[in-house]
Amino acid sequence: MITTLTATNDPGEWRLGAAPHEGAAPLATLTLRSAIGLRQPRVWYHVGCTVHAARELNLFHRQRTLLLGHDHTGASELAEIDWVRAEVPLATQATALHALVRAALAHIATRRGDYADRLIVELPGLRDSAGQSPFWAGLGRHFYAGDPRDAAALHGPGWRTLVAALLPRQPIYASFLPEAAQAAIGQVHPQALVLREVLEDFGLRYSNHVNVEDAGPLLDARIDDLPGAGR
Amino acid sequence: MNPERFLFRAAGPGDLDAFERIANASEIGITTLPADRAVLATKLARSAQAFASVDDSSGEEIYLFVLEDLEAPGGPRVVGTSGIAASAGFADRFYSYRNEMVVHHSAELDASNRIHTLHLCHDLTGYTLLTSFFIEPAYADTLAPQLLSRARLLFIKEFEDRFSDRIAAESPGLADDTGRCPFWDAVGRRFFDMDYPQVERITGGRSKAFIAELMPHSPIYVPLLGEAAQWAIGQLHPVGELPFSILIDEGFDTETYVDIFDGGPTVEARVAMLKSVQRSRTADAVADVVADSAPATGPWHVVAGTRRAGFTAVLRRAAAGASTVALDSATASRLPGTVRMAELGAGAA
Repeated sequence: MITTLTATNDPGEWRLGAAPHEGAAPLATLTLRSAIGLRQPRVWYHVGCTVHAARELNLFHRQRTLLLGHDHTGASELAEIDWVRAEVPLATQATALHALVRAALAHIATRRGDYADRLIVELPGLRDSAGQSPFWAGLGRHFYAGDPRDAAALHGPGWRTLVAALLPRQPIYASFLPEAAQAAIGQVHPQALVLREVLEDFGLRYSNHVNVEDAGPLLDARIDDLPGAGR
Repeated sequence: MNPERFLFRAAGPGDLDAFERIANASEIGITTLPADRAVLATKLARSAQAFASVDDSSGEEIYLFVLEDLEAPGGPRVVGTSGIAASAGFADRFYSYRNEMVVHHSAELDASNRIHTLHLCHDLTGYTLLTSFFIEPAYADTLAPQLLSRARLLFIKEFEDRFSDRIAAESPGLADDTGRCPFWDAVGRRFFDMDYPQVERITGGRSKAFIAELMPHSPIYVPLLGEAAQWAIGQLHPVGELPFSILIDEGFDTETYVDIFDGGPTVEARVAMLKSVQRSRTADAVADVVADSAPATGPWHVVAGTRRAGFTAVLRRAAAGASTVALDSATASRLPGTVRMAELGAGAA
């Protein structure tokens, strides 16, 4: 694999690509951002835990809670990760993604001071074959009646920030959601499992945050702990 | 039935059999009157002490009343009960859900949503609480339930330093014949995995606060509840309709609070704003030999005594605004001296 790096028009933002050889179309691409959420806030749900216990009643209930917040504001991000899946063996997808992430980390190392303490990656969550998210159907839909895909088409990825104004501000007990919505929390779309494995190889881990639309997980790590990226 | 045959009075230890009969007869159970003879006996003893006590009120007092039909076939008989707890959640907390609306707005998405939320709160802690209302169904269409419910308000007005200036009353929420309750199923069950009657049994005599502490303390977003549970919020069990309608007529507010377990409406008011309290006035009871023979005219009034021990009230016709009320000699012996009276008014018809 060979990798390419180009600066975008936004300061602190780079596009990276990984291709099998010189002149070939890239198999995988991403956008590297030095610090997110500082101009337009970014929102996620923090997945927390509350225990309701009463020894006299022999009762012990662990409850998951969702709390809207901007916890990863200021972090660096690997965003818009896309790769060719059609007629590309899974092993090749993994190799391309691996090269791409390694190149991003190497670039961070050359300008370490431009980047934050932590690096995050949002992974796509569960969807049905029609592209509908069971998590959105169980939660977001009650607070915004519009179709998320229309809103995304109109406002770009920043629509999630806009919709946050309509979403509940107080903790939500996951047990109030339908089974399918609960099951989707923190689950990666099957097609993106390969990406999750690659990122976990580098040491990124689920941070107990999920995106507000499909509850796909957020992986994060301290940049200084990542191979090839630290000081 | 002639309303003059009803006698409202302080309950005493001798009413234990009647309370046990009523606790067993009540269709869905009266939370404050469990069908347990020992518990009822304790409550009656506490009530008797509260009526007789010369000490200042501590807030712990409960006052239980009965309604007697003096002309029942076979002799005078208790046909209803009601009660007052001086201070809701005394020495603990009284939990309710408070209805709140939040408006979520996004100009960019051109969307504005009014979201109904339920907030766990202690707002009603320390309020005086009306409790234990039961009237035999055969008397539902008479003025008996009016006397049974409203005479409590005259008692509270007469002894206002023993009560809060704010008052509340719980009503049973929607449930089916087997005790299944849609609100509990959607809310409490997620934290207990049991039917509500089962929770009540397990927690025994413990205060509801004990269970409430195991419930979520963050607001509940009503749109996330199922349709049946949403519909049940603030809905009354049919058996609660009669006492509820009397409280509404008195001017209680129904919009703000619901019960945290079954979602039934918990009504509340300022005591001073209630119809019977506003209309109430003191008058001199006059034993009038003529009253024994000539029927009085004028609207029906609740006529109550002004002594705490052995508190008594009856329904009599009296001229609006009169400063004396003529009573037959038997009634006058029950209500000696000054009485406190309030016109029933159109809402009680």
